[in-house]
Order: sequence, then C-alpha cells, then structure tokens
Amino acid sequence: MDQPVIKIEDLEKSFKVKSSSFKRPARVRAVNKVSLEIKKGETLGLVGESGCGKSTLGRTILKVHEPDGGKILFEGTDITGFSRAQMRPYRKRMQMIFQDPYASLNPRFTVGELIGEPMEIYDMYTRAEREVRVQELMRTVGLKPDHIRRYPHEFSGGQRQRIGIARTLALDPEFIVCDEPISALDVSIQSQIVNLLEKIQAERQLSYLFIAHDLGMVRHISHRIGVMYLGYLVEVGEADEVYSHPLHPYTKALMSAAPEPDPRAARARQRIMLEGEIPNPLDIPKGCPFCTRCPQAKPRCREERPELKEAGGSGRQAACLLLEG
Amino acid sequence: MLSPDEFFEPVEDWERDTEYIAMENKSFGRDVWSRFCRNRRALFGLVCLTAVVVLAIFGPMVSPYPYDGMDVAVKNQGSSIAHWFGTDQFGRDTFTRVLYGARISLMIGFVATAINLVIGVLYGGIAGYVGGFADMVLMRIVDIIYAVPAMVYMILLMLLLGSNVYSVMIGICVSGWINMARIVRSQVISLKEQEFSVAAFVMGASTRRILFRHLLINSLGPIIVSVTLMIPQAIFTEAFLSFIGIGISAPMASLGTLAQDAKMQLEIYPMQMIWPVAVICLVIFSLNFMGEGLEEALNPKGKR
Ligand SMILES: Nc1ncnc2c1ncn2[C@@H]1O[C@H](COP(=O)(O)OP(=O)(O)OP(=O)(O)O)[C@@H](O)[C@H]1O
Ligand SMILES: [Mg+2]
Repeated sequence: MDQPVIKIEDLEKSFKVKSSSFKRPARVRAVNKVSLEIKKGETLGLVGESGCGKSTLGRTILKVHEPDGGKILFEGTDITGFSRAQMRPYRKRMQMIFQDPYASLNPRFTVGELIGEPMEIYDMYTRAEREVRVQELMRTVGLKPDHIRRYPHEFSGGQRQRIGIARTLALDPEFIVCDEPISALDVSIQSQIVNLLEKIQAERQLSYLFIAHDLGMVRHISHRIGVMYLGYLVEVGEADEVYSHPLHPYTKALMSAAPEPDPRAARARQRIMLEGEIPNPLDIPKGCPFCTRCPQAKPRCREERPELKEAGGSGRQAACLLLEG
Repeated sequence: MLSPDEFFEPVEDWERDTEYIAMENKSFGRDVWSRFCRNRRALFGLVCLTAVVVLAIFGPMVSPYPYDGMDVAVKNQGSSIAHWFGTDQFGRDTFTRVLYGARISLMIGFVATAINLVIGVLYGGIAGYVGGFADMVLMRIVDIIYAVPAMVYMILLMLLLGSNVYSVMIGICVSGWINMARIVRSQVISLKEQEFSVAAFVMGASTRRILFRHLLINSLGPIIVSVTLMIPQAIFTEAFLSFIGIGISAPMASLGTLAQDAKMQLEIYPMQMIWPVAVICLVIFSLNFMGEGLEEALNPKGKR
C-alpha cells in the first residue's frame, strides 16, 4: 500500500491566553488528539464552525505552531521534534495557500519578487533563470508574464490568489494546506480558483488539506472530508458518503444546513437546528465535546469521551458513543 | 481600396481581460518619488533643505571670511554687500558663521539620528520578533534608561568628556533611540502575525530575512516619519544645550551657540539672533514637510 504523504497521530495544540493578570494563564485547547492521514494526490476537506481549530490544525502540521503533543509524519519521517534547520528541506515540500490574498502578499514586493522568493531562499537557479521560472509559473496559474514587475495592489483579489498559488508552486511541493483559499473571493472567481487548484493537483499529484466554510465547494473538491468540532475530529469519510449519510450527530446538523442543489432532496430533508452556543474552548465539556448541543445526548455522553473509531464501513470513522451501541 | 485588415487591428490579449486594472508599470522607488513630487510642501521642504545643506557644506569654503576671523573695525554691522548678514560683536561675518553653524548643527542632527536609527531598529525589531521573555527583559531595560531624564545624561557626559561635539552627540543618543525601538517593536509585533510573514516562515525563510525583508520594510513608513522628527529634535536639543551654555564651546559654533552669543545684545542688534533662529526654523519645517510627504508617498494603499 502507498505510504500516506501526511500522517498525524494524536496531534495537540493549545494556546496560553491571559484572562486577567491575577489568574493563572488559561489554555485554549485549539486542537485535541487529532489523527488523520492524507494520501498522494488526495484532497482531504476540513469543515467545521468558525473557531473550531481548522487553521490551527493546518498550521501545526506545517509547524508554524509547535505541537504540544502527538506526532507528525511526512512521508514516514517523524518531523514533530525537528528544529528549524532540520525542517528546512521539508519546508520546500509542504506549503500553504492563505485565505486573505491581500494580507498574504508582502505589499512591498513585485510579483516577480514574490513568486521568486522561495527559490531565492533555497538558492535555486541564477537570477535570470529564476525570472524565466517565475514567468513560467505565472503562465501556469493564468497570469500574464509581462506583469512580473507589478505590485500586488495593482491586481484584483482573484489574480492575487493566483500569485499566491504560483509562489506556493515555485518550490514544487507535494503537500499543500489550503486555508480557506476561496472564501475571500467573489463567487464567480471562486470556481476559477478551485478549477485551477484541481488542474494543478492532477498535473503534479499534489495532496491538499482543504479547509473551507463552503460545504458545497468542499464536497466538489475533496475526496475525503473531515469534520471538526471544538478542536476534535468527530468524523472522517469519503466525501459523498459523509454528505449523503452523515454518522455523527454534529455532521448531520452541519449537512442539513448545506445547500442542496436538488430541490426534491432539499424538500425531503429535515433541517436540524442546534440548540445553544458552542462551548468556550477554554472550558470543553467533560464527556463528548458535543454533548451540550447534541439532540440525542444520553447521560453516558456527559461522562465518557468518545474516540474516533471505525463506523459504518468503507473506511469511515466517527467519534460518537451512540454509534458504538 | 483598403481591405478591412487595414482598418482594424486585432484586440490585444490584455484588452480582453475584464479583471485587468490599468496602472502604469513603475518600480517601487520611482513610484514613491513621483508621488513625493506631487506633494508641493514636501518638495518645497526638500529644496530648502538641500539648499541649506549645500550652502552649509560649501559656503564656508568659498566665503572670503574665516568663521573665527575677528575684525574689530567692522563689529556689529548691519547687512551690507560685504557682509550679507552683517557682523557680530567681534566683527566676525555672520553669514559665514551661520553657514558654519548650520554645518555643525546638521551634522549633529544627521549623525545622532543615524546612530539612533540603527540602534532603535535593531533593538526594537529583535525584541518584537523574538517576543516572550527576551522581549520582556529588553523592554524593562529600555524603561530603566528612559526613566532618567535625558538632560541628566547630557550634563553628566559634559562633565566627563567636556563640552564638545562628541559629548553632545553621545548625550543625544543615550536615550534618543528608545522611541524608535518602541515604534519598531510594536510594528513588528503586529506585522509578524500577518499572513505574509507566516508565508515567509512556511517557505523556510531565515529569521534575518523575515525581519528585514518582510517586517522592517513594511515598517518603513513609521520609521521614516520618526526619523524626520528625530533629526529636528536632535538639532533642537543641541541648540538648546549650546544656548544655555553647556553645548559646543567657542570658537566652534552651531546655530545654538550663535543664538546664545546674540542674546547679550538682543535689544540693540536683534538681527544677530534672527539669522541663526531663522535657519533653525527653516531646517525644522523642511524636515517636517518632507516627513509628511514621504509618509504619504510610501503608503501604496493610499493609491487610487
Ligand atoms: N495565536 C493564537 N493565540 C491564542 N489563541 C489562538 C491563536 N490562534 C488561534 N487561537 C484560538 O484557537 C481556536 C481555534 O482557532 P482557529 O483559527 O484554528 O479556528 P478556525 O477553525 O480556523 O476558525 P475560522 O473558520 O474562523 O478560520 C480559537 O478559539 C482561537 O481563538
Ligand atoms: Mg481559520
């Protein structure tokens, strides 16, 4: 069997937050014991409410944040404890595309400098060769090579996102974390960018961790989908199956709110409204993290924390005590 | 007969692009320069400052009078063809002395600011980027230095090193960099959370590269504005020290000592005071106008 490009085991990340100067600093547990793997050429979509730790998970995998626990394996190499110097050769191979195409491009750099910077960092090619490479990359992502000396503020949002993608591709990575790469764009541009990402993936056998809010788009681009709630991964499975037959009560609620293109199916579907607020991540419930809002919660759910386990066959996993029977 | 091909030409590729935004293709430096030039006040400041700097450097060289040459026969004269700004109580040519004084004042202003700039940017940049405990220690040190009034350092240095250009310069620098360090630190702290610095980190950029090429270059606006305030401030501090008599000592002269010398006869010969003070004002206004213009020119988001 193929080795997964990325495999994480029980990954944990929490942030210290100061509430008041007298209290002990509290900890926001942004990512809790998350395990998953992504194969070559595969897209894993990651969905969940705002603040559930999707970005933190993506950034911890790339070691922007030092993980507090668990393991990160990149093509079988454990990079969890790697120093900055040790990470250098791996940084080339795992990259990130950002949500905000305005904030993710240094406004003082020209397009050529932006896309060329990764190659400059690794001392790849001569200056002239780099320029040729940059122009090639610009063509790949659908930008005009003669715009190479322009500044990012001279471009539209969609074009800037293309600049960001070209920069990411400059190092020929194998794995890319796409942190909501389309949510800041116009709807008409969104599909262009998604198509571009799919095209590049097919050409280069890339693996994506695709974080998004828009459930429709995630279903379209992802092979598998992971659902996060309060820093926990509560369900993983084939994209279509997670959509059509969600197992976890939270996924059911989430999917019932997703837009359904088929009006007959839409009418037949019941919308599940969740009661109450998301608990404060400073203070996660003792049992199942979802028990405070779960319409089917049993007394047991408030005591025992469910683990992510095989459920419903075909490689699907969910973390719910009710499924264990 | 002309064929249709001669009437029409094919639409260029870029003209078809709906997302294209028309904008001239300019390098960043030229871009800033052209926006700076559109600001009349800033340009006025630049012209005046350049004129003062050029005169201060070359004026004393071509002047027929040495800055310290006394001539009792022509003391306390008004403006004339021979002495443009008149002469002082010892018959020294005021124009030559003002230019010479401007040279010393400007030199102190620029050199002291350059030192403050380097120390402040490095200190603040490192404190802000490293953060955590190191940042806390570095900023407490700054607080301690800042707690003592700057004048105390200056007077102590005068006692230790005597009244000369160097002690004035060091005196200005002891605590002069602190403001810059604080500005740079807060800039760096807010910029390092931005996605472009995370992007640089993910690419594998070194700390030095992230700090200089990403964080500091984007702090350039506030840094330059603060520099254009630091130069006049240094000039002013030196003038003040010399004016109260603990700055530069005779026969050397700065604009401050010239004003100090004229103080005695202010009621009889006010022009002797007005010339050096006017040059101080001109320099300080010019720098402030330039600072304003640069701040606007450096901020590309202000572009239409
Ligand atoms: N640097 C940080 N310091 C402290 N807390 C943080 C930090 N980054 C994230 N958090 C906290 O961690 C939790 C998860 O944040 P994260 O940004 O990962 O959520 P998200 O799922 O990406 O949300 P969104 O969909 O809004 O992007 C939030 O409660 C957030 O406040
Ligand atoms: Mg996020």
